[in-house]
Amino acid sequence: MTSESTLFSNRWLPILLVAPFMLLIVLFFYVPIFQAFYWSFFLEQPFGGGSMFVGLDNFARVLSDREFWQAGWRTIIFMVTASSLAVLIPLILAVAADRKVRLSLPARNVLVWPKGVAGASIGVVFAFVFNPFVGILAPLNKAFPGIWAPGIDGTDAFITLIAAHVWGGIPFNFVILLAGLQSIPRTMHQAAAMDGAGPWRRIFDVQLPLIMPQLFLTLVLEFTESVTSAFALIDTITHGGPGGATTLLVYKIYKDGFSGYDLSGASTQTAILMIFVILLTAAQFVFLGRRINYER
Amino acid sequence: MKISILAAAAALMAGACSAQAANIEFWYGNTGPVETAIKAQCDAFNAAQTQHKVTCVGQGSYEVSMQKAIAAYRAKNHPVLIQFFDAGTLDLMLSNAVVPVQEILPDVKWDSYIAGARAYYETSGGKLFAQPYNASTLLFYTNKTELEKAGITQTPTTWEEVIDAARKLKTAGHACPFVTDGDTWRVLEQFSARHGLPIASRHNGYDGLDAEYVFNTTFVAKHLQNLVDWRKEGLVKLNADTKAGNYTAAFNAGECAMMEGSSGSYAASTKAFDGKYQITVNMAPMYKGYERHNTLVGGASIYVMKGHDQAEVDGAKAFLDFLRKPEQQMAFTAATGYVPVTNDVLDAINKSGDAKAAKYATAAIGIESMNQPPTADSRGIRLGFYVQFREIFMEETQKAYGGQQTMQVSLDNAKKRGDELLRRFEQTYKGVKLP
Repeated sequence: MTSESTLFSNRWLPILLVAPFMLLIVLFFYVPIFQAFYWSFFLEQPFGGGSMFVGLDNFARVLSDREFWQAGWRTIIFMVTASSLAVLIPLILAVAADRKVRLSLPARNVLVWPKGVAGASIGVVFAFVFNPFVGILAPLNKAFPGIWAPGIDGTDAFITLIAAHVWGGIPFNFVILLAGLQSIPRTMHQAAAMDGAGPWRRIFDVQLPLIMPQLFLTLVLEFTESVTSAFALIDTITHGGPGGATTLLVYKIYKDGFSGYDLSGASTQTAILMIFVILLTAAQFVFLGRRINYER
Repeated sequence: MKISILAAAAALMAGACSAQAANIEFWYGNTGPVETAIKAQCDAFNAAQTQHKVTCVGQGSYEVSMQKAIAAYRAKNHPVLIQFFDAGTLDLMLSNAVVPVQEILPDVKWDSYIAGARAYYETSGGKLFAQPYNASTLLFYTNKTELEKAGITQTPTTWEEVIDAARKLKTAGHACPFVTDGDTWRVLEQFSARHGLPIASRHNGYDGLDAEYVFNTTFVAKHLQNLVDWRKEGLVKLNADTKAGNYTAAFNAGECAMMEGSSGSYAASTKAFDGKYQITVNMAPMYKGYERHNTLVGGASIYVMKGHDQAEVDGAKAFLDFLRKPEQQMAFTAATGYVPVTNDVLDAINKSGDAKAAKYATAAIGIESMNQPPTADSRGIRLGFYVQFREIFMEETQKAYGGQQTMQVSLDNAKKRGDELLRRFEQTYKGVKLP
């Protein structure tokens, strides 16, 4: 596709054009990350004025901390359940919308709207929606008092968080998956139908295999994003509680660093979390990515 | 050419600004009626004189204010005056970022501050580190109207009476007899202080950085187990059990009949009750058989931060002097319910003829509560990274309220995690002596 006319003639112009963006990335990503790695080897006084090199002490401290592992487990549970649901539900919706079931046209529009809502706003809304006294589950609580208590029961709080995350993840994944489905040539459906494949058969044998690239993309993005994007929801809905039941690693880092003034510990955990996310994405590419056929 | 003119103009303006140099900043964390009262004081200061100008910046909460102060101090962009809350006392004392107020204002009569307030904020040498500002303490609030409806005519003063009253309220069909949020300040610190119990060894850390938490072995463990049992019985409710979702809001709306709360929430409560219910405020309840000691001074105090020039420090001093004026403290108390903690202000209130007025109700009771006989363990809390400990304590005890583990296990865990914080604090400030 590349032709001479699409190349810049001036060697400096492209560099100049990306420079502002690169500068932002360096300033707000690489510098802080470098700082975090650097601090993870020091014991840092909150107000500055004294920091001591402690080698790997911070890592030893963090890795032997039960709270760290618990937060880590919660992160993984959240990642697996919330991300799978955040892909599965849009997939079902996309297949339905693609099949031109009734109302699929308005649905295609309406389902995209949540994309325009910030995570924190979603959190505020869901805190109300799942409020045990005035929310949608309030009638359930009337019938069975105490059955839904996200302020007391950690599991209920976790469910609230997952629901909010999945809801917020629907639009983007829906758009990507629907685009994938719509790019499948109609002739394929027709050929399959003529061979006697029913709708379900066509979904599993024609549509799903053909949208594997889109599914892979959404899964990779969801998995990596769920690790960090849960922050806004936790901060607005549960504040990590009750009893730490929704303290995912990303929230624990914030708490330790900003309300505990433990800059070294928070930095160390940031370093560990980042390595984890990089490894996870690499693993997805190595084990899943290779099997995906991008050709049609 | 144009650019150089602009640069020159900018330099001139910068020069002009620094020549005035009496512009100072003051950061605070309160919101609501308290914030309104703080802003009124700032305006009054600016109106009362022309030499200095204070800009008061609200940060939304004590925690956020402290976070921003840390970031700002590291970036050398910090205000000269900042309000910090009680829990951050030791962190600030060792931060090397603040100057003790008694050092830069040596001529003030600091001994007019009541002993309880001094003890919390003074060095071992008796120098006050910060100027107490919005001082509060724990009080016991009841909705008199609701209590009378259930046939309770006498305001309870002991926990035994509180629970008796709660049972009566429950029998009378009241959904929420007593409400608390189980906050560390309320259920651990103020409870331990007034019952004469230590929270940590070495007199809550006053004698050295090598203190260890001991609260899991004291009577407070029994009290917290009682709270769990009473909650199961339907007598005690937590934030999440209330429709309002918050204990003060639940009390103010009339949903809950009794609460333990800061004197600082008095103004909001009386405003909400106006015309609907009658309110009583008293000292926080004791268990029978325990002698009453002082409650701790809570709320926040003002620190002077290092790294500012003389003109700004002068402005800061002038503002602190202004805030200490009896009429300022009285107005602030009347507007918020925070307690004035200097004897001269108490005298002024008594002389004003308004002493019995509702707006000063918390002043008299609060002072009485803080003036009870002290012990070596009721001076205050001098423990490092204590802000985070408060959260750990909440997190662990919530597990007990949720039925995941017993209260004793929660407290043992909180002690263990708290001790880890103390050891790390000790290591972070290796070789630093307590001031």
